[in-house]
Amino acid sequence: MSVEVKNVIKKFGSFTALDNVSLRVESGELVALLGPSGSGKTTLLRTIAGLEFPDNTGEAQVLFYGEDVTHIPASQRKAGFAFQHYALFRHMSVFENIAFGLRVRPKETRPPEKEIRARVEKLLHLIQLEPLGNRFPSQLSGGQRQRVALARALAVEPKVLLLDEPFGALDAKVRKELRRWLRHLHDEIHITTLFVTHDQEEALEVSDRVAILRDGKIEQIGTPEEIYDHPASPFVYDFLGNVNLFSGRVKDGAVVIGDTEIATPTAAGEQDSEAVAFVRPHDIRLTREAGGARTFRARVLRCNAAGPVANLELERLDGSGQFNAQLSKEEFQQLQPKAGEEIFVELKNIKFFSDDYSI
Amino acid sequence: MATNRTKARKIRVLPGFKLTLGFTLFYLGLIVLIPLGAVFWKTATLTWPQFWQTITMPTAMASYRLTFGASFCAALVNVVFGLIVAWVLVRYEFFGKKIVDALVDLPFALPTAVAGITLATLYSEHGWLGKLLLPLGITVANSRLGIFVALTFIGLPFIVRTVQPILEDLDPELEEAASSLGASRWQVFWRVILPMLTPALLTGFALAFARALGEYGSVIFIAGNKPMLTQITPLIIMQELDMFDYPKATAIAVVMLVVSFVLLLSINVLQWWTNRYNTNNLA
Repeated sequence: MSVEVKNVIKKFGSFTALDNVSLRVESGELVALLGPSGSGKTTLLRTIAGLEFPDNTGEAQVLFYGEDVTHIPASQRKAGFAFQHYALFRHMSVFENIAFGLRVRPKETRPPEKEIRARVEKLLHLIQLEPLGNRFPSQLSGGQRQRVALARALAVEPKVLLLDEPFGALDAKVRKELRRWLRHLHDEIHITTLFVTHDQEEALEVSDRVAILRDGKIEQIGTPEEIYDHPASPFVYDFLGNVNLFSGRVKDGAVVIGDTEIATPTAAGEQDSEAVAFVRPHDIRLTREAGGARTFRARVLRCNAAGPVANLELERLDGSGQFNAQLSKEEFQQLQPKAGEEIFVELKNIKFFSDDYSI
Repeated sequence: MATNRTKARKIRVLPGFKLTLGFTLFYLGLIVLIPLGAVFWKTATLTWPQFWQTITMPTAMASYRLTFGASFCAALVNVVFGLIVAWVLVRYEFFGKKIVDALVDLPFALPTAVAGITLATLYSEHGWLGKLLLPLGITVANSRLGIFVALTFIGLPFIVRTVQPILEDLDPELEEAASSLGASRWQVFWRVILPMLTPALLTGFALAFARALGEYGSVIFIAGNKPMLTQITPLIIMQELDMFDYPKATAIAVVMLVVSFVLLLSINVLQWWTNRYNTNNLA
């Protein structure tokens, strides 16, 4: 039981939006399509909805629970779609917006008026907007509009729910509230859901699995933990959060950066070659005691202790560049680093990529 | 109260609210209200019975029916076909689109007498179109149908030009949303696109209708101007003027003015009602 796309190619002029993409979303799963703009994530979503069609009609397939819907238009696919800018019908009340999908059904399958009312009321309750059924969309806030758009899509009992940057047009606070609400909603109704986002935090927080897209291809797919802890490529590593790059070599089971040699288990058995080490800012430890070959020296440029963690900017003394470190509040208070001070740096959790590491 | 008033005074971004409002009122007064006032002034030289007799004389009554009826029908037909023209111009790319787009404005620019003479020639018994229609028993020249044709001609640009920008701004996502909810193409048009165009269509209708009511030049050449049959109200007014009977002419003009004003006002109310969803007040 799944929603599946197979071998989809889609081009717009000379631009390849989807380059032979295949994806399988299990029934009841909440999957995020994450990627920078132009990576094809929205095109993939629209292809599933039937708003775009693959170029390679022969090989490409879109399957809803085994049923081939590749050539079925959007109006008959029963895929609920929510747009970034809501696309609510301005001339209809909130109630009528939600009822739209039921009212346009042919006579034979259209529920009686009483049932339509009951269903819309139920959805208004679900999106916590019961008293606002008579308002027009222009009288609602952005967050409320997006919830109406979701209810409207859910009203037709879709086989899959597709959300195109659902929180992209909202301010940061509403965004966080709404994505938690979406997670709860999904836990409640368990509808197979795909949502597009370019916000890694959003993708990691909300979804069961994350698919990372780049240049029309799926770079990696996995649970948020999997892709965060074991990124398959430098691109994924970089895309999922702040990262420091140190260029060096892999040699005898260690990563060598300048005079520093850091024993790294994953480097064992690797050939002697050039490599780039990726280190997250929170995987950097600062100390005042020299730690031999494991540590190197750096100068503190700037400290910013506002917020739950302290962010530091540092510069390596061998002149090979700047990097960022993140300390917990306690670590920061114990160490009390000052701008201009020289300090020892230890890299704790290194991930290195020895081949082409372009990001 | 006095302190409240100074506090409540709004600070505006653009200065000169009083100046511009004053100018607007003065200008409208000079250009619109004073001439219209003169019409009422002249009419007032008639006594009530004289006034009533003038405005209800059979030829005048027939001309009201014709003028308002033909103008209404012409504007209505233009709503349908103007919408189609606007739709084609906005939604499709084709060779010569710019030229077609420019053609739409021609009825604006052409002297109406030229349009009238051209139409009369085309639709006369020996004209290109009249010749073809004659065997079918349709006479356009010197008939009410001719008046309707002329009024349709001059009204077309109003609908196209009011609907076109709204149609261009219509978000394609609305149609996609509707179709992903299961709506057929026809339902998308009928339930989503048309309601969003209605205010613009009403505006275009009102403009075309108002234009047709006052139209004189193009109509008199094709109408034949037979009393009781094909005389439009502006022609009746002209006839009275030709006889230097200014009070009678203005009396009929007053009827035109009042009825037109009431009709346009009701269209505006209707338009406001169809556009009510655009309010932002959280009532």
